[in-house]
Amino acid sequence: MPAQEWRLLLTGDMSAFDNMALDEAVLRCVVAGTSPSTLRFYGWEPSAVSIGYFQGIEQEVDLDVCREQGVDVTRRLTGGGAVFHEHDSEITYSLAVKDDYPGIPKKVLDSYTLLCGGLVAGFRRLGLEAEFKPINDILVNGKKISGNAQTRRFGGILQHGTLLCDVNPQLMFSLLKVPSEKIRDKLIAGVEERVTSIRREVGTVDNAAVIEAMCAGFSEVLDIHLTPGTVTDEELVLLERVKEERYANPTWTYKR
Amino acid sequence: MPTQPGPISADTRSGDYKAVGGKLLRVRMTVTADNPPVIQTIRITGDFFMHPEEAIEDLEQRLTGAPLDETALRARVQAFFAGDASPEDVQVVGAGVDDFVTALLKAA
Repeated sequence: MPAQEWRLLLTGDMSAFDNMALDEAVLRCVVAGTSPSTLRFYGWEPSAVSIGYFQGIEQEVDLDVCREQGVDVTRRLTGGGAVFHEHDSEITYSLAVKDDYPGIPKKVLDSYTLLCGGLVAGFRRLGLEAEFKPINDILVNGKKISGNAQTRRFGGILQHGTLLCDVNPQLMFSLLKVPSEKIRDKLIAGVEERVTSIRREVGTVDNAAVIEAMCAGFSEVLDIHLTPGTVTDEELVLLERVKEERYANPTWTYKR
Repeated sequence: MPTQPGPISADTRSGDYKAVGGKLLRVRMTVTADNPPVIQTIRITGDFFMHPEEAIEDLEQRLTGAPLDETALRARVQAFFAGDASPEDVQVVGAGVDDFVTALLKAA
């Protein structure tokens, strides 16, 4: 079978609300058949905190500090944990396919193994000994470098995740709630031990090289051919709609 | 005497439980003064995954009205996981039946 044709989207830095809305808009258009299967890479400006679908916002996020720091807060369509997406410190990817896409396991856990395999292959192309750590993490030298989350809805699969370029645990733990002030320093020290970054592992961060490596990794693992494309008008209209309905809407973000 | 919204004797309980090798489950609920207490309202939050996501509301609804008793709670969580009366299979990633029951009992 020849390689499947996919669209590659490089959308640069956008707000959390636009980023999450575009992921959903692309997913909906992929399912409708008006957009091809898509792999997208993006960044965050301003910095933002996203929380998982099931998380309690007051339990996880220090909203006053976020406001003071100009950090946006939104709720994702996907489960998982709270993430601090720092401007210029993270490359984020998202992948959208129909849920009957050949070769993608019906069991969510198995599909993480497959899709995260594209990232593992990408990190290896950067010279890093990466491994998938179930449920949804990728480790390099035993430390987390990527977290991933998936949803299946509207008849499609959306997986998005982080490629950590730089870590700033002090700032992160000022924005996220900690169980007690007494353990804040311990948590920060724990991040140094458990989390790594592309800068730490490679020495430098070349965003274009990272994205190229990840594209090659996904192409290899999924047997796809990526062609650079653009966001369609239909997707832009949907982006505005779902941004207003969900990601920039307090009713959505504060619902749990 | 002015009437209060909701039952006067409601009591708030909460607890967190991290599934071994899995995710964090956080339970907050209000319960009646009965013996055993009965769940009046419940919210289960955390960094787990559930597909479809909206199924969490079904689970919370099934637990509302349940006595805080291991057998009763387990039966309701099990029924949810077994997918009876659900239109499609529910997949929960990062926590299983026992983890939800443990989290509920911890909060109790």
